[in-house]
Amino acid sequence: MGYRIGVDTGGTFTDVVVTAPDGRLVQGKASTTPDNVANGVLAAIGAAGERIGMSVRELLGQTDYIVYGTTHATNAIVEAKTARTALLVTAGHPDVLTFREGTKSNPFDFKTEYPAPYVPRSLTLEVEERVDAEGGVLVPLDEARLERVIDQIETLRVDAVAVCLLWAMVNPAHERRIGERLRQRLPQIAVSLSHEVAPTIREYRRASTTAIDASIKRLMQAHFEDLRTNLAPQGFGGDLLIATSMGGVMRAQDVAERPVVTVRSGPSMAPVAGRAYAAELGETNAIVCDTGGTTFEVSVLRDGRITSTRETWLGHRDTGHVVAVSSVDTRSIGAGGGSIAWIDAGGMLRVGPESAGAVPGPACYGRGGKQPTVTDAAALLGYLRPEHFLGGKMSLDLDAARAVVAPLAAALGNSVEAAAHAILSVAHFNMVSAIEDITVREGLDPRESILIAGGGAGGIAAAHIAASLGCRRVLVPPTAGALSAAGTQLCDIVLEFSSSAFANLARFDFDGVNTALGALEAQAEHAKARLRSRGLENFDVALFVEARYAHQVWELETPLPVRSFTGPEDVARLAEAFHLTHERVYGFSDGSQVIECPYWKLRLSALITKPSISLASESRTGTASHVPAHFGPLGWLDVPLVRDPGPEFADLAGPAIIAEPYTTIVVPPAWTARRTSNGAYVLEAA
Amino acid sequence: MAIHTVDSMLLAVLSNRLDAIVREMGNVLVRGARSSVVTSHDFSCSINSAAAELLASADGLPGHICGSHLKAQSMKEIHADLLEGDAFLHNDPYLGNTHAADHSILVPVFVDGEHLFTVSVMAHQADCGNSLPTTYMPFATDVYNEGALIFPCVRVQRDYQDVPDIIRMCKKRIRVPDVWYGDYQAMVGGARIGERRLKQLVARYGIDTIRSFISSWLDYSERMMVDAIRKLPAGRIEAHGVHDPLPGFDDGIPIKVQVTVDPQAGRVEIDLRDNIDCLAMGLNQSEACSFGNALIGLFNVIGGEVPHNAGSFRRVTVHLRDNCIVGRPQHPFSCSMATTNIGDRLANQVQSAFADIGEGIGLAEAGIGMGASASVVSGADFRRNGAPYQNQILFLNNGGPGGPWADGWTNFGVPVVAGQLMRDSVEVNELKYPIVFFENRLLEDSAGAGRRRGAPAGRVTYGPRRDPMQVMYPTDGAVNPPRGVRGGSSGMRPHAYHRSQGGEDVLLPNNASVTVLPGEKIIGIGCGGAGYGDPRTREVERVLADVREGVVSREAAMSVYGVVVSGASEDGTLRVDEAATARLRVPSGARPLA
Repeated sequence: MGYRIGVDTGGTFTDVVVTAPDGRLVQGKASTTPDNVANGVLAAIGAAGERIGMSVRELLGQTDYIVYGTTHATNAIVEAKTARTALLVTAGHPDVLTFREGTKSNPFDFKTEYPAPYVPRSLTLEVEERVDAEGGVLVPLDEARLERVIDQIETLRVDAVAVCLLWAMVNPAHERRIGERLRQRLPQIAVSLSHEVAPTIREYRRASTTAIDASIKRLMQAHFEDLRTNLAPQGFGGDLLIATSMGGVMRAQDVAERPVVTVRSGPSMAPVAGRAYAAELGETNAIVCDTGGTTFEVSVLRDGRITSTRETWLGHRDTGHVVAVSSVDTRSIGAGGGSIAWIDAGGMLRVGPESAGAVPGPACYGRGGKQPTVTDAAALLGYLRPEHFLGGKMSLDLDAARAVVAPLAAALGNSVEAAAHAILSVAHFNMVSAIEDITVREGLDPRESILIAGGGAGGIAAAHIAASLGCRRVLVPPTAGALSAAGTQLCDIVLEFSSSAFANLARFDFDGVNTALGALEAQAEHAKARLRSRGLENFDVALFVEARYAHQVWELETPLPVRSFTGPEDVARLAEAFHLTHERVYGFSDGSQVIECPYWKLRLSALITKPSISLASESRTGTASHVPAHFGPLGWLDVPLVRDPGPEFADLAGPAIIAEPYTTIVVPPAWTARRTSNGAYVLEAA
Repeated sequence: MAIHTVDSMLLAVLSNRLDAIVREMGNVLVRGARSSVVTSHDFSCSINSAAAELLASADGLPGHICGSHLKAQSMKEIHADLLEGDAFLHNDPYLGNTHAADHSILVPVFVDGEHLFTVSVMAHQADCGNSLPTTYMPFATDVYNEGALIFPCVRVQRDYQDVPDIIRMCKKRIRVPDVWYGDYQAMVGGARIGERRLKQLVARYGIDTIRSFISSWLDYSERMMVDAIRKLPAGRIEAHGVHDPLPGFDDGIPIKVQVTVDPQAGRVEIDLRDNIDCLAMGLNQSEACSFGNALIGLFNVIGGEVPHNAGSFRRVTVHLRDNCIVGRPQHPFSCSMATTNIGDRLANQVQSAFADIGEGIGLAEAGIGMGASASVVSGADFRRNGAPYQNQILFLNNGGPGGPWADGWTNFGVPVVAGQLMRDSVEVNELKYPIVFFENRLLEDSAGAGRRRGAPAGRVTYGPRRDPMQVMYPTDGAVNPPRGVRGGSSGMRPHAYHRSQGGEDVLLPNNASVTVLPGEKIIGIGCGGAGYGDPRTREVERVLADVREGVVSREAAMSVYGVVVSGASEDGTLRVDEAATARLRVPSGARPLA
């Protein structure tokens, strides 16, 4: 077996993790190059190659496959650089994307403009047809008018068309016919059909997902092609796999057919890495955090599974756009090292949502930042070391940090250090809220979880956040600085199939449901055959149902206790599983209520042999010294600073600081740090 | 102003913490609830101190939260024997609740035997036992004629167990009892989550810290309010409005609002006393609604940054009078419709009154009247063995108001809702009820024009599939539509038709109750939001975009906005004819050359 390379292209940095044939992981990092992403990717591969002692060409020549995680799709959507896209809808319902689902989060805000629809009304066309809730045809498709609509599409000079008809996921005949005609008449245009892209109820979500898919199709196809074209001359002849929002990987050519599955392509990989590191400690429940310069991302492992959602918002819920396909549930808030601290009119300290971003960045970066940020607070308290920052490649201006925090301290009537602690506390609290949003509100007790801290600054806040949540342990992986890239080396190929077959547990339709499940299994078998031809042999199949109590309008994903239903006892087991899930998530269940099941899902994982997760045993000497750092009521202390420690790391009692090339860890007083055999740090409260 | 660092940090942490608890309460409710009214977010949760001071109400409906402390107050006054594990059912509009259709669950939160907080979960019910199958009774002559079961803060749980007598009463008198009980359980679940989280909070920070936080938090909120009021000019404005006529009230219902702003003292007074007495119909305001809806208008003007709680309320006096239609209602006058109609007029009048003080202040009036796009539908579902259904559909096709900064928001609903409700999905409604929605679209030229225009209104067309369906709705605005301010124009008037099988349209009254037969349709046209400022000062790019997107017609662009548009949207040649536009948009006072 040869090398494998995982790439995570973020907005600022491109991270690379290389798995050597002996299973060791090696990291590399380079700046992202938006004009030609491949340059940044090659540079980061080069950085990793350097540490192995290989040239890019040598490394790529011996690479079996590259897994590529990218925010390319999300960036294009957020920056509105997608294709000019038309939307075809059922006659009478042209405003589905303008209406959205309502809800304005602040009723008293009259300054924000109403969001423009993802596809403007002027590019939305109505098709004469109508299907009812059971799939019956109320109005047949008017073929003659369809041809005129396609004439119009030609005049509009669009590059993509999304088709979303009411009830198409129950009866897709009209959408199929429209797709056929579009491909015949306008073969150069990208087409996405809602029943294929997002076969789910709620017309806004389906239309939004389908429109987004259509608008990024050509773009993503070209992007993957560019990358391949740039890698080939450097000797790369392996497979190009793409990290999907589901936390799995797919072949680039398959993803290009349904590119909407890449909107969480990068962040979805952090919990995959988290799962591997948690397993090493025997933990199955974990909160995985990734702290960046401008955002804080959090995801969750429950019973060894990564939690998923069918509702991913690009941008704010009020004003962004929704993608309604299964995705790893990651929550993102605008809280990072660059978040700006300020005092409001009532005298309360606030942190964010405004950020100093990468430019000018925090004041201590010395690039002209004039406002106090979280990073400035951490620097002036001695947590970030000027001499070691980013592996020594960047220095920090501590005087500038003090200078920008000082006015805030004066306004609060306290010392600069106290103000810095207050800034960190408020920032940490924002992070705690984001974590609670995805744990306690979903029925998961953080006290039963381990906290996994990723990101360059993740180790500074981790112990404090864990303490607030009541978590027992914190784990800082050796690849903390490139958590998502590491995840791409540790994930499986994951495919999901879904089918709508309405079932009421009080009068269960055995034939209907078993037929639907049989069809899902058949699809899975077909996919397995394809995967076997590529040498994959180990598969995991999991069945789920989206169920609800009668009259509820939101469903709850419940694992199926059986593969097919043979008798009433199987139905009873499903009912029991649903009640338990409902109890766990919402705190109550109601055995007297009828349960309805509209959707059935199958998740197929093709298991890939994983590398061991230990970091390459580089020759690290490790230095230890003492530096001043400020710890709340204890004031300034002379604390141990351990830099790049080698394998023989003695347990370290806080207060202390550990400086890794891409991560800094603060061990607070009354906490201890130890190192696992794989090079991860475990922090525990005394 | 210098305040202690620890206070400042704790303020941020604990106030966010309270909001997070309120949101978690709501999340438990919405996910567990049965009726689509509740799952559309027609509910509000809040935390009050033991002294019935409103502390936190994140994400609540403006019309629900501003007066919610009155319920907590009534619980204390009525029940001297409060115990841990109690829960109270409250929907009494004479005792601090909004109206009978909003059921509230109140739970006193105890720590070490001491009552520290009262949490409240309030949600609009699918049915509340009214004499007709609707939760809105405009013609109710009194509370007896209205027919709803009234629960004057009645103990519904003791020691964390239901009091089965109350549950049985409700199940006998509320249509769709399973839906009601499901919603009830979800509400109790939400309140109990709030109770558990508050106990954890006190355990973590200690009772003394929490006490000092409460007083700092209210003081902080008061300072924020003072700061906001100081930015307003001084003045006293009187605003008059008229709710549309109702049978027996042919001239409509006049409403008068007097607002006094004293920036130096940092105080605002809203006087509602000079209004008529309660009337023998369902539109009377409850005390919670009179207070709350007047405050909505004020907070809309002040913006989203000031917390709405007992601290900011200290700076506002709302003068109310007993037995006044916008005051404290006298039993047995009905308050069935207290949360909308006159309440919406109140909020609209207060916010538009501020626009008279000066440029850049206040708002135009928002779309009003629930109308046929938010009707209560009922009947039998042939797909479920004729099982009865009843619920309110929610396509909030009224436009929001233009303001100094932004155009109005689509999906605004009505002022008391302010865009907070989730819009229904056509597919979910068709799955749950035997209805077909034929059309749901925004209408050209329905928005009130202005430098910042209102949002357009929508039209929804629907009918039953196989069996007759009862459709009931109240509305307002057909006679007196929402008014523009500072030169902006009114929004389109709402109206509705009953279309026969032969395609003949019959105009429906403002407050309708009709049986719709298979093959017949209801066509509901919403109310446009009104505009702010002179439409001829609107940026031409905005007008061009409105023409391209079908919000404003070319004719209106020319005649109302003074912008001449040429070319066609279809082939990308749509343009502003700048010369012709310049000729139309001459400064006022000058006259264009013939």
